[in-house]
Amino acid sequence: MASAFRTLPPRAALRYAPRMSFVPSGLSSRLRCAVLGLALCVGCREKHGPPRPLQPPRVDAISALRPGTTITDVTTANYKIDARLDPTAHTITAAQTLTWTNRGASAVEMLPFHLYLNAFKNSQSLFMLSSGGQLRGARIGNNSTSWGFINVESVQVAGSELISKVRYPGPGADRTVMELPLAAAVPPGASVEVSMRFTVQLPEVFARTGYWHDFHMVGQWFPKIGVRVGAPGFEQWDCPAFHGRAEFFADFGTYDVSIAAPTTHAIAATGVLTDVKDTPEGIRTHTFHAEAVHDFAWMADPFMLTLHGDAQVEGGTVDVRVLYRHEQLAYARRHLQAAVGTIELLSKMLRPYPYSVFTVIDPPPEATDGAGGMEYPTLVTTAGDHALARRGLRLPEFVTIHEVGHQWFQGMLASNEHQEAWLDEGLNEWVDGHVMETLYGDGEDAIDWMTWRANITAVRRAFASPESSLAPIATTPDAYLDFDAYAATTYGNTMFAMMTLENIVGTDQFLAAMKQYAQAWAFKHPTGSDFLASLRASLGDIDWFIGPALQQNASVQLSIEKSHCAPLTPPRGVFDDDQGHRVIDAKAAPSTGAFTCEVVVANRGGVPVPVEVEVEFADGMVERLLWPAQTGNWHRFTLEHNTPIAAVRLDPDQKLVMDNPFNNSMRSHGDASASLRASARVAFWAQSLMQVVGL
Amino acid sequence: MKKTPGMMELIAAGWRGVTRYTGTLFTVFVAQSLVALICLVMLSQVFASVFAQRPMFDEGVRGDLIALVWAARYGSSTLIASAWLVVGVALLWSIASWFLVGGVNAVLLKRPEGRAATARQFGAGGVNTFLKYGLLTFLSVPFLVVVLFVLGMCATVAVPKMQYALTMPQLLAPLALALLPALFLLAVGWTVLDYARLDLSQHRDSHELGAFSAYFRALRLVVTRPLTIGHTLLGWLVWLAIGVGYSYIAFGHPMLGAGGAVTLYVIRLGVQLLRMATKFAVMAGQAYLHEQRTAPPRTVEADIVAAAK
Repeated sequence: MASAFRTLPPRAALRYAPRMSFVPSGLSSRLRCAVLGLALCVGCREKHGPPRPLQPPRVDAISALRPGTTITDVTTANYKIDARLDPTAHTITAAQTLTWTNRGASAVEMLPFHLYLNAFKNSQSLFMLSSGGQLRGARIGNNSTSWGFINVESVQVAGSELISKVRYPGPGADRTVMELPLAAAVPPGASVEVSMRFTVQLPEVFARTGYWHDFHMVGQWFPKIGVRVGAPGFEQWDCPAFHGRAEFFADFGTYDVSIAAPTTHAIAATGVLTDVKDTPEGIRTHTFHAEAVHDFAWMADPFMLTLHGDAQVEGGTVDVRVLYRHEQLAYARRHLQAAVGTIELLSKMLRPYPYSVFTVIDPPPEATDGAGGMEYPTLVTTAGDHALARRGLRLPEFVTIHEVGHQWFQGMLASNEHQEAWLDEGLNEWVDGHVMETLYGDGEDAIDWMTWRANITAVRRAFASPESSLAPIATTPDAYLDFDAYAATTYGNTMFAMMTLENIVGTDQFLAAMKQYAQAWAFKHPTGSDFLASLRASLGDIDWFIGPALQQNASVQLSIEKSHCAPLTPPRGVFDDDQGHRVIDAKAAPSTGAFTCEVVVANRGGVPVPVEVEVEFADGMVERLLWPAQTGNWHRFTLEHNTPIAAVRLDPDQKLVMDNPFNNSMRSHGDASASLRASARVAFWAQSLMQVVGL
Repeated sequence: MKKTPGMMELIAAGWRGVTRYTGTLFTVFVAQSLVALICLVMLSQVFASVFAQRPMFDEGVRGDLIALVWAARYGSSTLIASAWLVVGVALLWSIASWFLVGGVNAVLLKRPEGRAATARQFGAGGVNTFLKYGLLTFLSVPFLVVVLFVLGMCATVAVPKMQYALTMPQLLAPLALALLPALFLLAVGWTVLDYARLDLSQHRDSHELGAFSAYFRALRLVVTRPLTIGHTLLGWLVWLAIGVGYSYIAFGHPMLGAGGAVTLYVIRLGVQLLRMATKFAVMAGQAYLHEQRTAPPRTVEADIVAAAK
């Protein structure tokens, strides 16, 4: 598609320079200032001028993996792709050669490929039908340029053209999976080379990929082979149609990808940049190399600048880059700090980050709903840049931390996202809490603004959706009621369950168990069973927790059913002894002045967690009790004390993160002072409203 | 129009009105504060019935944002009911204001001397114009619809810009563009209403003047005299500034404990009194300007004209 590229001036002295395009050039400087000021007053965003040729980027003089990093068995699916972007038509033409090795114990007669972009081809794809055409705040456009697709034009194996033999198993009109029957089966241990030519039409940015004006985020864009799963000898292909709530799953491999685009466009991609070549027609070819990764994504944009940082990890340094448009510089700095901190911390907590580079794309705000907040190996997109995200309101940082965390949970621990999304999203959310707390301080890591302080766990917990209880955590994404239920359970509930388990078994032990899991299963495809077995090996018997918490639809729902005290009196009445009837009345057995109290606590949630109970008496004394192993769903404590109970608090240290804390504390006698104070404030606003609508 | 007073004259007239009829101002303020106090007591009973035994609500009221969210989730229906209670009280007050504004206008226009005469004038004025003021309110509904339409139109343009704002100017400028036209129109509508009310209060018996004609006479005045709108806007700006100033000074001073709560209540009363005085001063200024207007045709003159025909 070279003809579509404009002829551009020589690259000498041409660097990206933003222009204020709304200020006419012929005006006097005073008038220009006035126009500029007026524009700023009405909140115009600084516009970018037309794309200009950029200086060629510096080739990365480093290997894809950090020196000293050795990873074995990560070459199952090796891709070599030559792609060319037409940024005007938003199309990509590409040729791809896949070398796939059969690592199983059974022969393979058919190769299935994901054609994810066909999810956006029409309204009848499984993705569109299951998502209603919207995902994470973005909605597929309605005009003819909104749709995207991938068209495979040629498939060759051993020199034979097989395009006429490919089939699309559906369902229905869905074409997100293509099956290629092979003329000759691939025996165990053997490899097959598949060459393809394909064309991509990018959609208007939606569901992680596409274009918005000059910005192109290219993900899930090439025919990607499925994964063989199952016991040796009984392997099956895992290559389902693309569902609206599912993500991705692929084998590790090596990627050598050349991307040709106009010299006006900055390119960022998975892996390291190994070569740059320019043509006189103004086309620049970037060649990237990535090892031990299971996906490849890239971005092209004429206005992106780069911030660099170094993350120090065991045995070396990771070059961390944030690509941003200049108006997003303030946010880019925050993303960079978050990314560097996360890589350094998770390298210690789980296992060292093995790659030599890491790239964060900060999409333009208008493209964020569609392209922001997505993870690919060594490259992520972030989100959260907004005027309201003041320093101390750490949504941008949290998004970056979450996406960087995916380098471990799914990047290295390559679980099956469309089967067990909780293994990457949920565990990642759990680790995000630790990262936020370490980087930004306990109790104020999410919000540290004006007089408000809160940590991310508390925020997530307080805003958790009630529909989260509709399905167990260990549910396939497509089996959830909708995206909200999927997100609430997979992200939130898994995080809450993991934090609860961590608080029960102890943070040190739990972190050690997670480290063990990460080191044992990195660059493999762990399942939920593998994860739980790893935890059991480290923590002992935890089935009492993980059964109901992960595999059943259970939770922790504590409540104080009863808190009551009565004066303690010695036995009174008529008693029989050797001397016959003996009457003991109040005079003979006066009240002791003490009280006997009973506290009944309950857990209607079904996860039999140990519960600490703190009882505060009227004289100020505090007593801690433990409801250790739950055999029923309620428990009665009986206490004697000189004064009655003033208050009862369940789970006073808030260890049971799965629970709603609001009804975990109760005063014996109501105190209306806070109600009065709140009412006074509301009444003030009410009076203000009265003055607005009346006298 | 006999003469054309300027802004300073209107402000001076407002000051004179406040200082001369301080008792009237206090009376209206006490009435309003009593209604607010009743609202406070009702709300506290509602809140206490749900939250009195829950210490986490206390933490929320003390400023713990997360505890406040939990409280809102736990007692969401209570809070929604309380919000409707506030709206109901405000609507009732707006109806009561037909009487109170009528009274205040009568006092400001007739300038009675002495407490008893002022009280009589206030009561008579309020009663005599109550229904006409009600009719005026209904007449102003189409204007409010226009205001809402303008607000909707401007918001349609502004919201996408706000959605992707990266800086506070980028956020606030569209917000202002979304709100200011509608607020300006609202101020125009309120000004028209104010002058129509004054017309009805001054000429209620002796002139051929219904709510409809008063409304359009006022509309003509406001359109031809932008000063009237500027005067109203100035009043609302001062009203707003008092609230913002209070919020600024109070920020970071939680005033805990019973003593703190009482002090806070008294301070808030002071703030409301200042705002009420501002509104009263605006009304006095409007009354002064109104007095310069050409009177509508007298009823007797209209009769003569009709007879002559």
